[in-house]
Amino acid sequence: MDSLGRDGAQYLLPAELADDAVSGALAPRFKLRDGRPLTTERTFYDTFDGRLHAADLVAVHAEGRLVLAHAETLTELAAAERPDAPERIFATELEGERLRELLEPLVEVRALLPIARTRSRVRRLGVLDDHAKTVVRLILEEPVARSGRSRVALSPRLIVAPVRGYDRALDRVRSALEARLGLVPAQQPLHDEAVAAAGGRPGGVRAKPELTLEPAERADRAAAAVLAQLLGVIEANVAGAVADLDSEFLHDLRVAVRRTRSVQRQLAGVFPPEPLGRFRAEFRWLQQVTGPARDLDVQLLEFDALRSALAQARAGEVEPLRGVLEERRLLAHRRAARALRSRRTSSLLESWAEFLEGLHELPEDDRPDAADPIGELAAGRIRAVHRRMVKLGRAIDDDSPPEALHDLRKKGKELRYLLELFGGLYARDAVKPMVGALKDLQDTLGRFQDREIQAQTLRERSAEVGARDDGAAALMAMGVLVELLERDQAAARSQFAERFAAFSSKPARALLERALA
Amino acid sequence: MTRVLATYNIKGGVGKTSAAVNLAFLAVRDGRARALLWDLDPQGASTYLFRIKPKVKGGGRKLVRGKSDIHGLIRGTDHEGLDLLPADFSYRHMDLALDATKRPTRRLARVLAPLAGDYDYVFLDCPPSISLVSESVFEAADALLVPLIPATLSSRTFERLEQLVSGEPSGEPQVLAFFSMVDARKRLHREVMERLADEHPSLLRTAIPAAADVERMGLHRAVIGEFAPRSRAARAYEELWAEIGERLAPERRP
Repeated sequence: MDSLGRDGAQYLLPAELADDAVSGALAPRFKLRDGRPLTTERTFYDTFDGRLHAADLVAVHAEGRLVLAHAETLTELAAAERPDAPERIFATELEGERLRELLEPLVEVRALLPIARTRSRVRRLGVLDDHAKTVVRLILEEPVARSGRSRVALSPRLIVAPVRGYDRALDRVRSALEARLGLVPAQQPLHDEAVAAAGGRPGGVRAKPELTLEPAERADRAAAAVLAQLLGVIEANVAGAVADLDSEFLHDLRVAVRRTRSVQRQLAGVFPPEPLGRFRAEFRWLQQVTGPARDLDVQLLEFDALRSALAQARAGEVEPLRGVLEERRLLAHRRAARALRSRRTSSLLESWAEFLEGLHELPEDDRPDAADPIGELAAGRIRAVHRRMVKLGRAIDDDSPPEALHDLRKKGKELRYLLELFGGLYARDAVKPMVGALKDLQDTLGRFQDREIQAQTLRERSAEVGARDDGAAALMAMGVLVELLERDQAAARSQFAERFAAFSSKPARALLERALA
Repeated sequence: MTRVLATYNIKGGVGKTSAAVNLAFLAVRDGRARALLWDLDPQGASTYLFRIKPKVKGGGRKLVRGKSDIHGLIRGTDHEGLDLLPADFSYRHMDLALDATKRPTRRLARVLAPLAGDYDYVFLDCPPSISLVSESVFEAADALLVPLIPATLSSRTFERLEQLVSGEPSGEPQVLAFFSMVDARKRLHREVMERLADEHPSLLRTAIPAAADVERMGLHRAVIGEFAPRSRAARAYEELWAEIGERLAPERRP
């Protein structure tokens, strides 16, 4: 790739432009040196949710190399040798150290997947000065987007790349091309155009709904709009979850299902009790049937962190557990995939979409909240859930069973979804601190519960691990881990009071009240 | 990590510039690496070959004192990935300019410091001499690429050089010497090469022939790989670059 630096440019070339138009536009001041035409194949990568796109980056495989570059200037940031264009890349498995360093924090556990493939005929031209020295590089590119068997010709591009130290020549070349040929800089990078041509969405599919609601909007319409977006997220993630491309497809799908159920519960009064009851049961089923697969994903994702809690010398001993978890995960995923591919799921999603579309036309006699302004209705729900949380939290003391904290956490999730989905209706600066305090509290509650589940998993898997040849040492290591987990759980519990106090403090409550008023 | 490679010999006319430009070209040829060539020779032969104006704003004095923005002085060559820091006529007083600075022998390394990370290789095309400039080059370079003409005195030249670089305070640069301007028809050349290879097993195996193509570089104002890519000389430089790659110490300095 040629870096465009600060001042280079990419132009879209009109199809009717004559072959010698470019050289004509630059004559007589500059001559052109023609290079051999080449064919270049590129595969562009991004995560499903477009993390590289959001960071103005592009990852591309071409000519045996995987390159990370700045999306606009095409300046190469890091690269690694890679003979083939892989179907899936995990940052942790990358060869190039620099490449890994840059990508890991960005894409985390998400896989980089091919988002577009192009094949281009490329002609490289040197713009020469009086001494026949190259002072600007021109690249004429005729790209074709390839997706499966289909081929879509994209607009030809003229790339004007600088040669260091020859800025004046670059300015002159650009002005000549713009003035004489009327060229305008391309608005979209090549890979975005290729993604769009293949029917995709440049920037990927976001897992969070992005919706602007009006406080005065009818509650049933607002609810249907939010739920339709969540349904979109569910549908978009099904294929990736079935194919098990990375752990986040299933996770995002399940979060969207959970949010859907939360809206069904919290805004129940905008729906007719039937078929709402049936839909709720079906979404609960979808949530449950995919649960074990997600639990095992989490256990494996956390495995290395858990392992590193052990002393260096013992860390390896716990490895047999990984094998056991991986086997179980495979089975759980197969089960989840079967459910996601089933007729039951597809008809649920179809009928849910249909239901949402026609919701506002249904009779209102059994939908008491349907015509309420969403601003008021959601505020009421946020208040109620918040009040409930405060009540539950205050009842917790040192003698309360773990279930009390779990229940509080569940309510917290409910509140969080309400704030995420409907918080935009209220003053942002008042909602934000509430979200912050809630997040801190939820983190503590989450840590408390996660440690319990982790310890429980270790205990549950002990028979299986112990039955393996290398199981004895692993069991010992697991015993140490259980102890560490229990200690951390106790630490989370002791943190609870402080976090809850911040969440339920008088000023915090007043702020929320003001926001919702 | 940037590798600094200096083509150096006490004597002139031994094929230093030819080695510098052809090796720098090969370093970037496959598009995998970036290189900078600094033409330190006031005669500016490399600069001329790349058709670049032999002019450095502020001259050598300002540059070695660290008062110039080195990024603004660099020019791109016709070859993608290969840039040049041009020669300037004022470089003929570079010794004096260096002498006027604190720790003169560290100056060149200091001048190059802001470019760390921009390039995989920096080639220094040095003027023939033993001077503050060469001492400064020894400090900056990871390896000296030393062209030797197979003559009776070349053994002495080589030994002198090894003495010179030994005891460099910041670690000795690797000395990678190779035969240059070799005429295989001359018995003397063949004999000297055989004897030296025995005496100094560290000498590189590749020899650069005295070929008309090397001389024609000035005429074409281009590297051999461009106008005669299949010539004997072009192939010799390719072999030399491969051998240098094998011989370069993986991590020479801490």
